[in-house]
Amino acid sequence: MVNDLKQLMRDNVAAPPPDRLDLDALVPAGRRRVRRRRTALLGCTAALAAGAVVAVGIGGPGGSGRVAEAAHPPKPDAPTIRLADATQAVTGRDYEVLASFTNQNLDRDNGQYFDGVTDDGLVLFRDGPREAQPTPRFALMDPATGAKDWLPDLDIGWAQTWPVELGADRLVLAGVDSRSSRFVTYVFDRAGRQWTTMSWPGLPKAAEPFSFVPHDGRLYLRVPASVGQPPPGGWPTGPDGEADDADAEGDTYHLWSVSLTDSSDVRDEGMTVGDVAFTQGSMVWTDRSGGDPGRVHVRSLATDEEHSFDPQEGEKCNVLSFGATGDRIVMSEYCGTYADGVRDDRVQILTTDGDQVVTLQDNGVDGALAGPGSSLVTMTAYQPKLGGTYVYDLAADRLLRVSEGFSRYGSGGGAPDGMFLYGTPVNHGKGQTTWLAKLLD
Amino acid sequence: MRRDPAADAAFTEFAAANRARLRSTAYLLCGDWHRASDHVQEGLLRVYVAWPRLVRQGGEVAYARKAVVSAFLDARRKRSSSERPVPEPGERVSGEDLASAVADRDALMAALARLPERQRACVVLRYFEELDVRETAAVLGCSEGTVKSQTSRALASLRAMFEDESREELVVAGERSFPW
Repeated sequence: MVNDLKQLMRDNVAAPPPDRLDLDALVPAGRRRVRRRRTALLGCTAALAAGAVVAVGIGGPGGSGRVAEAAHPPKPDAPTIRLADATQAVTGRDYEVLASFTNQNLDRDNGQYFDGVTDDGLVLFRDGPREAQPTPRFALMDPATGAKDWLPDLDIGWAQTWPVELGADRLVLAGVDSRSSRFVTYVFDRAGRQWTTMSWPGLPKAAEPFSFVPHDGRLYLRVPASVGQPPPGGWPTGPDGEADDADAEGDTYHLWSVSLTDSSDVRDEGMTVGDVAFTQGSMVWTDRSGGDPGRVHVRSLATDEEHSFDPQEGEKCNVLSFGATGDRIVMSEYCGTYADGVRDDRVQILTTDGDQVVTLQDNGVDGALAGPGSSLVTMTAYQPKLGGTYVYDLAADRLLRVSEGFSRYGSGGGAPDGMFLYGTPVNHGKGQTTWLAKLLD
Repeated sequence: MRRDPAADAAFTEFAAANRARLRSTAYLLCGDWHRASDHVQEGLLRVYVAWPRLVRQGGEVAYARKAVVSAFLDARRKRSSSERPVPEPGERVSGEDLASAVADRDALMAALARLPERQRACVVLRYFEELDVRETAAVLGCSEGTVKSQTSRALASLRAMFEDESREELVVAGERSFPW
């Protein structure tokens, strides 16, 4: 007698228990996924990882069944604030609303969205894809009047796009060519009112299409190099019964860049990185992405001088989003789950010299820069009582609570410095109002 | 991306037709039927996002299989999974009381669970989904050489585990030792 591998596998799946998968819920969930993917990037590099911050079940595979020690989250080795420390923002005093748009029922159908704000203050307004507008169309909307200047048809059918650069002269959207599955950009010349398409045959096909970082006429993209592995025996089980992959190893990438004006200009930057960001004067990167970041490296763009430091993010912290602006670095982190399922989530702000500025620590919160080069950090809190949108002003070191309640949908793209986009739920959470606001001094 | 009712209906029909097979694959990968459903759900959501392109180009089933395997591999290294371990061979309550066939099936699931996930995926794709080396490489996004070496290591480990458990020899019916 022998055991046949194929037969054993077939026998093992011959009598499955009832499937709890709800097919009716797949389509609405898929629609939400399409919308979230559209809004996942805010100019930071860890867009995909940032999406995982939403307060859902935590953990990795529970390989060993080891139980993580239940305790209270440790205090960061940095000046620390909590959501409850925020000042309630008042319209007209702390901020003013520039524009808003409501989709009453996004569960039923896709709608219309703010995809970002141009440098000259116009909203990139996207209509569709939805039942009445199956092929998305774009307009530049004046937030003061609501008037829309509809752009010529991009003519890419249903393909999805992500804003790269929303300038006064041109708009650059990123996408994936449906035939070649390669990264492309669509460039709209605002004066000539024409779209052109750019692609880079020399760019490795494995380049991650949704984690680009624009800087100085180039786009920086990551090509996977190594994948972090779970510890021997698997992840420990947290007090909430879920496997907990805090302090994950993180992934590494080879860094490539392409010119936004020359399809033959493709460069292997010869660097292995985790997350990458640019400020006006420096390039900032970590050793690894999606886990323990390792060291933070800062290179002067003027002199090529480099220095690096330990960000002291905490022993168990996974960095889930990463951004930099001016002399500040912003990292959103998940640092484990403790007694009663309390998450240790942090938004850590430090200087490019490695000095700790402030860390917001709380249960169920994430954050990212409001846009490339912005001095504002928008944070979403998922707690019942303290849930909503918060804004941290890097220039004034103040935390404001802008809204109560959080929406299940993405709140739009990036905004120029001083402005921010956020969403609030409507219609019992089925829809959302997207707001464009400006912080007041 | 178009989301007209006809496209949604076609997607739902596709999901209904393929969910059971995908769930079986996911179960062999993760060892837990509920988690398998989660991986299938995640995989089908990825299919939904790509659906218009898939419909134009074909290959929906292959894409769905790849999406489910990716969902499993992603869950292994991200924090969104609550996968439960299958019992280690020594922990089984069945012991000598259970019929030998049942014990052998349990032994296989326990042995699969002890393989590195990509080796496990190679075994499941090659011998349950019956994909060839090229197709398996396409699903896993790696070279054919990697598939061969990973499969070889996996089979060697599985055989050793069966031997350690004093079970009948594990073979791949109709195949030689290195079945590519």
